[in-house]
Amino acid sequence: MRPSYLKVLALLTDGAGVVGGIAQYNSDFVTALAQSSHVETVTVLTRFGTAPSRSHAKVTQLAPSRRRVLWSARAVALALRQRFDVVFCGHLNAAPLAYGIAKFSSSRLWLQVHGYEGWTEPNMAVRCATERANLITAVSRYTRQRLLGWANIEPSGIRVLPNTVTKDHTPRVRRPDLIKRYGLEGRKVILTVSRIASAERYKGHDRIITALPDVAARCPEAVYLIVGSGDDVPRLESEALSKGVAERVIFAGHVPAGELPHYFALADVFAMPSTGEGFGIVFLQAARCGVPVIGGNQDGSVDALADGQIGRLIDPSDARQLADALASALDHSQRTPVPSVERFCFENFARHVDDLVGGLN
Amino acid sequence: MCGIAGIYAYHYASNSIDRNELLAMRDHMVTRGPDGFGLWLDPAERVGFGHRRLAIIDLSDNGLQPMQTDDGSIVVTFNGEIYNYRELRNRLISKGFKFRTQSDTEVLLHLYADRGADMVGDLRGMFAFAIWDAKKRTVLLARDPLGIKPLYYSDDGWTFRFASQVKALLAGGKISRDPDAAGVVGFYLFGSVPEPFTSFRSIRAVPAGTTVLVGRTGPAAPRRYHSIASTYCEGEQGQAPGASPDYIREALKDSVRSHLVADVPVGAFLSAGIDSGALVGLMRDVGAVDIQTITIGFEEFRGKNEDETTIAQEVAALYGTRHTSRVVTRSEFEADLPLIIQAMDQPSIDGVNTWFVSKAARELGLKVAISGLGGDELFGGYPSFRDIPRWVRLFSAPSHIPLLGAMARRLTEPLASHLGLNRKAASMLEFGGSYAGAYLLKRGLYLPWELEQVLDRGTVREGLRRLAPLRLISETIEPRPRSAFARVATLESSLYMRNQLLRDTDWASMAHSLEVRVPLVDSVLLGQMAKLADRPINKASLANAPLGPLPQAVVSRAKTGFTTPVRSWMHSVIKKVERVPRSAAVAETSWAREWSRFIGRQALHPNKSSLPLAQVA
Repeated sequence: MRPSYLKVLALLTDGAGVVGGIAQYNSDFVTALAQSSHVETVTVLTRFGTAPSRSHAKVTQLAPSRRRVLWSARAVALALRQRFDVVFCGHLNAAPLAYGIAKFSSSRLWLQVHGYEGWTEPNMAVRCATERANLITAVSRYTRQRLLGWANIEPSGIRVLPNTVTKDHTPRVRRPDLIKRYGLEGRKVILTVSRIASAERYKGHDRIITALPDVAARCPEAVYLIVGSGDDVPRLESEALSKGVAERVIFAGHVPAGELPHYFALADVFAMPSTGEGFGIVFLQAARCGVPVIGGNQDGSVDALADGQIGRLIDPSDARQLADALASALDHSQRTPVPSVERFCFENFARHVDDLVGGLN
Repeated sequence: MCGIAGIYAYHYASNSIDRNELLAMRDHMVTRGPDGFGLWLDPAERVGFGHRRLAIIDLSDNGLQPMQTDDGSIVVTFNGEIYNYRELRNRLISKGFKFRTQSDTEVLLHLYADRGADMVGDLRGMFAFAIWDAKKRTVLLARDPLGIKPLYYSDDGWTFRFASQVKALLAGGKISRDPDAAGVVGFYLFGSVPEPFTSFRSIRAVPAGTTVLVGRTGPAAPRRYHSIASTYCEGEQGQAPGASPDYIREALKDSVRSHLVADVPVGAFLSAGIDSGALVGLMRDVGAVDIQTITIGFEEFRGKNEDETTIAQEVAALYGTRHTSRVVTRSEFEADLPLIIQAMDQPSIDGVNTWFVSKAARELGLKVAISGLGGDELFGGYPSFRDIPRWVRLFSAPSHIPLLGAMARRLTEPLASHLGLNRKAASMLEFGGSYAGAYLLKRGLYLPWELEQVLDRGTVREGLRRLAPLRLISETIEPRPRSAFARVATLESSLYMRNQLLRDTDWASMAHSLEVRVPLVDSVLLGQMAKLADRPINKASLANAPLGPLPQAVVSRAKTGFTTPVRSWMHSVIKKVERVPRSAAVAETSWAREWSRFIGRQALHPNKSSLPLAQVA
């Protein structure tokens, strides 16, 4: 007979203070666990990050260990010292370690899969550990489907637990200083916010730059504002040059998270025709700020855009479709928040976590 | 007997359900239920059920579905028949439940209110249904103990969908068609796709004898409430009643009587075999009058030993039925073949016979027909009852020597192939030592090591890993009955009968809006016969069950089956469609393998077919 209150060991990669969707997800998750009626304690061991973002009496946040070996050794030592009922593993690559700990301590294994790391068949150790998890949560239906493609798992063993969108993303008034800084007066703005890494070219900046001449022909005021930094910026700059749209492409560089709503306020349309999103939380942030959204229909973006209810889904490989969607959005730009974004609020997420952890009890 | 479908947007992130999708799913099954249709959506449009009705019990509009309780807190959509519904109805009335119809569907509503998911244990019949519990916000799916009625579901992580047919789920347009290597490999191993797999990765069968509960986080794993193996084990442990003819007769009569409950005439398929003949005799014994019987005959067999119509006519005359022999011709077969492939819900190498006999029954105006399906499983009519235990005794010891079986097969297979012997013989040492292996050997269309003849290596590797065929077979005989008879009966009933015979009967009969009832596939009868599993019961027990026993000509007649002319027709179609060189076609020794490849190309890879099937006709 299992206890009615569970002690959870959460093995996470990105903890508080780390920028990105996984860190935000982990923070939400730990908070939701702490609020769960089924949970007694949550012990969190992260690899990266600083201090906990939201403190809770049930949560013990241990100092992070950047080095994987040390992090793994500490996780094992923890399991030797304390008894846990559930081991939550926040990254697929750590599944063998988490499985070993869960097996050793006769606890339940809950595995979280975010995105691309679960899309292709991993090595045998990860696959075997995955197939033995008691519960797997995937960030989107797409990730779940890809996981079912290689893992021999009963479909009922994989649930979907999406990202959340925070309430601080709300429509703002356009800030004159930003309009002036980027020369946006009288312009129609296409916006993308993301990392710009050579390893993540799937985001689709190239596709928008390629579509820009066509869009500009129909909407001469069109400009493309790219927010984010990374090693692929120089290549995109030369790409814009080669397509003859360099004067229409503006690289704003990195923008702190708290500033983002002001950048969404500058946009007439947010577009990211990506093919590699696990979910695409940025779509929700844009939509909550009242910006019309365009995303790809080949990956987890379909979930973020709720099958087209939150934004427009296009085939990212179809340049014509993208250009049409962009031109149409600029032509009829309406800045009203989409109410259906609210489904991704933290409260729904927390209730779902409570139900899921209750199922493990 | 009907078609059911439903959608439940259980996840907080999912959109409201799409009414048009539900309609498309429902109306794909129009032949399952031509007499009526219904649609129900909850006010928030988070859940909806659809129903196509073939009216058999309570023909009035009172029987229309989906049906709900007066307060709307419980809603049901149901396919099948509950044969003990009157008894259950009386019990519920005595508990204070108020009924407004005479239908068995309403019994399900109140029984659920009374017993929750445990209600399934009270039901005698063939059924697949879904119940929405508005207070708990759950959908309960249930399928009958032996798997007579089909039920499939799909969960994408946000939204749960179910339907009586795989193709109805696909007709909604929102389910991935990615193939499931386990289902594809399973088809070539067994000749039908073994549940819970289907040809599509996103679609699963609700296993026979299980329920699936769908709540706010999605569907739970299927929960088993009945198993054939357990029934035999319980039968073996209990007090054996003795295999007296009276005991068997009364058990059979009880089942047949139950299966005659209907507000429309109930006919019967009649071949020259024991099963259907005995059932017709028993129908008469329990008081059925003016029974319409149907036999399929072939022009090619007129006057030959293979012709079933002559003996069937004798049986019909013996029991005084209104009898019809329906002749099927090659040209009719070729004309119907595209329709058969279209109606075939999951790929199968069988079902053609049921298609034609159902067609004939419907032409005669019947809505319900009794079939002798299940007699061979219940009374040990297959050669497997003799062969499998013998093989296991013989090969059990050597099969424990590691690698010996695989080595023996590698050495002997070329020889067997050269001599034109059955290539399965080469695998005797490898598979014959266990019940699971011996069953695969006996029933296998292809053996695992032969699959690369028909599928690419990646699909074979992936499919075998996911399907784990020996484990799948072995799990059906857990807990393990003591007697060899019970083990083989369990294997045959849980695999061949369930995945092939019953499934084929469903799609092939429902395509003609005909309900086929199978009194020899009945959980109560199974429980009674399981008590005799270590006694010498056989098909003669069935033949002697009617008060006027079957003629000796029927009992002694070797089982010929329907296939002989159809095999030749199939072969001719394959040659036309696939443009097979004559020499290659002649070299093919197994019609079933040849047919499986044809069906596989039509059903699993329709775009690879070299000639549109319609051009055959």
